[in-house]
Order: sequence, then structure tokens, then C-alpha cells
Amino acid sequence: MNLLEQNNEFLQKLYDTFIYDNRYMYLVNGLKTTLVITLFAVMLGMVIGFLVAIVRATHDKTGKLKILNFFAKIYLTVIRGTPVMVQLLIIYYVIFASVRIDKVLVGVLAFGINSGAYVAEIVRSGIMSVDGGQFEAGASLGLSYTRTMTYIILPQAFKNVLPALANECIVLLKETSVAGYIALEDLTKGGDIIRSVTYEAFLPLIAVALIYLIIVVGLSALVGKLERRLKKSDRG
Amino acid sequence: MIEVKGLRKNFGDLEILKGIDTNIEKGEKVVVIGPSGSGKSTFLRCLNRLEQPTSGSVIFEGTDLTAAPEKQLHKVREKMGMVFQHFHLFPHLTIRGNLTLAPVKLKVMTKDEANAKADELLRKVGLYDKADSYPNMLSGGQKQRIAIARALVMNPDVMLFDEPTSALDPEMVGEVLELMKQLAEEGITMVVVTHEMGFAREVASRVMFIDDGVIMEENEPREFFANPKSPRLREFLSKVL
Repeated sequence: MNLLEQNNEFLQKLYDTFIYDNRYMYLVNGLKTTLVITLFAVMLGMVIGFLVAIVRATHDKTGKLKILNFFAKIYLTVIRGTPVMVQLLIIYYVIFASVRIDKVLVGVLAFGINSGAYVAEIVRSGIMSVDGGQFEAGASLGLSYTRTMTYIILPQAFKNVLPALANECIVLLKETSVAGYIALEDLTKGGDIIRSVTYEAFLPLIAVALIYLIIVVGLSALVGKLERRLKKSDRG
Repeated sequence: MIEVKGLRKNFGDLEILKGIDTNIEKGEKVVVIGPSGSGKSTFLRCLNRLEQPTSGSVIFEGTDLTAAPEKQLHKVREKMGMVFQHFHLFPHLTIRGNLTLAPVKLKVMTKDEANAKADELLRKVGLYDKADSYPNMLSGGQKQRIAIARALVMNPDVMLFDEPTSALDPEMVGEVLELMKQLAEEGITMVVVTHEMGFAREVASRVMFIDDGVIMEENEPREFFANPKSPRLREFLSKVL
């Protein structure tokens, strides 16, 4: 009897948390927002990261681009030296303080700019790991530095760091969970809203955690597969 | 064809080349020998400005490379093929891709023309069946033959070889030297840095002994090996022959 009552109570809680008033939609819409922010932030981060990495590597290899390299270094130091949450708050409450702007866009900007710094260091290490002889081989054929970089170095660097880049995407997905601080209704915030209306913390927060976990485990498995395939092609 | 005047190269405080003067004529096969660290590879790398000389000039077909702006330098390098000790094939491209990249991207040939040229060269180096393989599927000797084909694809006026057989297993040295001999017979101008004395004797029109950053002695091969004049060369030859 007791067990049945407990069971009923649990089912009631489940119903209150997710079904009643279509509350599960907080999680669905939150997940959508999280994925949208992550996707576009990854794209922005890749663009920024590759550009910064090329500037840094070109400076290291040839001594050119001194001024750009200086700004790239400041960018890397500031972004990697401050918490992403503070960056998010500054972008929303300081930089866009007097502008009405879509919060999702703010999220994409903040997380993209943040991720770009980490992508830049990953890609730079990839460029530096390509054998210097590749630059010389390109040069000896009459290819300029830019062409050698584009057609010979970057494709190899990209392949070398693909797993690390994929991991950066996974990290970014989890980091977007602080988006709620600018009242962005992402997955985490969705779970928190349910908690605040039902006064029941366990179920919504565990559900949120599970959703993150499933996505991360799934993506990690894909990265692992990718790594094994890249290794295989290296062995020939 | 290549005129070298007062060529010097320092790496920091270390003086590697201490003033080299020489002329390389069209059709010549110059083989450069010398002890390790003598500066012979640096000399070769100054010829296409992979190393920027500290002073002196390298004049190739009327252009002073040491003073040429980047764009002109790239144009000149198209006419100077280079083969490296460690091949430096592009691992992310197929063999065909390795050969066609430069002519297509530099718009010297269309894709079709480059492919036809690649086929022709791959047949010449005997590796036509490897066109769609990747470099890591080849043996060292095969890689170096592909590297030679890649350098030839731009129809260079001169070929520079930087110890092309030094990184090869002994049984693969022969196939590469054989190919180089074949090129020499076809009349292309060559500058070869090597330790292969047999090749120098057989193929060179002139052997150049670089020691301690200067050309210590140079001569046509028979005289060079039979009658070495400087004691340094005599000592060197007694060690390597």
C-alpha cells in the first residue's frame, strides 16, 4: 500500500513538473535556444579563431603582421583571462546597454567571441605542428605564403586539430548554460523556471542534466569515431 | 644562367658561407660535395632564396633574387624546381594532387593540362599506377621519385637537389639516382648536393667541393677525383672513397 502511495506521489510530481500546463515546453524551447546559440556561436568562434590563429602563426613564422598580432594577443589574454559569464554580462549590460537587441544574438556574440579565443589557440597549435618543410615545398614551387597557407598548411592543420575543435564545441554547449543570467531562456533556465513554479527542484534539474548528458555523450562518441577514422587514414 | 657573386650567409654569429662566386651555365650538371656543416646545403638553398643571403647576389636569368620583391621571387621559383632530402610531399593530397596543385593554383595550366602533364611525368618516373594513392602509401624511393616529378611539373629551367638520397634506405638509392641520371641525359640544368661520389663521377659536368663556407676546389669529374689539388679535398676524398 505504502509503495503504491509513493509511486502515485512520484507520478503526480512527474505530471506536475512536465505535463501539467505543457510545462515540458519550457525544456523543449530551452533546448532549441541552447542549440541555436551553440551552433551559431561555434560558427562565429571558428571564423574568429581561424583568423586569429592565422595572424598569430604568420607572425611567429615570418615576423610580419606585427600590429594585428598585438591586437590578437590582447584579445586572447582578455577573453581567456576572464570568466565567460562576466563577458556575457558585459556584452549585454554594458556594450548593448542602450540598444534593443535580441538576446539570442547577444548570446551568440558572447559565446562566439569567447570560443574564438580557444579555437584560435587550438588552430595555431595545429598550424605550428605542420612540418616546416611543407612551407618550403610550397615556396619552392612558386606558391606565395598565402597560397601555401591556404592549400597546403591549413588543410593539414585542420585535420590535426579536428578532434580538439569538436571537443571545444562540446565545452561550448555546456558553457551556454549561464545564458540565463541575461534572462535568456535556454535549457538550464527552462528547467529553473519549472522549479520556480512547482517548488520541486529534483525532477526538472535532473531532467536538464540528463538532456545535456545525452547530447554530450552522443557528440563525444562521434568525436571518438572521427578520431579513430583520422588515425586510420594517417596509417594509410 | 645562374650567376653567384660574393655570396655570404650568417646564422647569428655563425658564418656559414664566406663568399661564394660561381657561374652555372645552361645544361650544366653541377654536383656539390663537402663535409657536413660545410655550407653546401645552405649554398643550394640560397639559389632559390629559401635562405635569404646576408650579402652578395644570386642572378638567375637576369634577375637578382636577393633583391627581388616577393611577387617576382615567386615567378622565378616556378622556373627552379627543388627536391628535398625529406621529400616534403603534401600528405593530404593524392600523388596526382601533389603534382597538379602548383600549376593549377598558379594558373599556369588548366586542370586538364595539369592532369595530362602529371600523367606524362608519372609515366616517366614509372609510378603512373600510384596516381591516386596518398604519399604515406609509398616507399621512400617512390616518394622521392614523386617529389622529382612534382618539381618537374612546372617545366623548370634548373633543378636543385638537396641530398636527395640521404634519407633513403640503401636499396632505394639506386632507383632515384637512375631517374636523376635520366634527367641529366635529357639536358636539364642541375645542381645536386650529394654524398654519392659515383653519381658525381658519372653524371657531373663539374664537381664543386665546398668546405668551410668557400668553394675550395672545382673541376670536371675525372680530373677532380684523379688529381685533387687542395689537401682538404684529398683528405675528404680519402675518407669517402
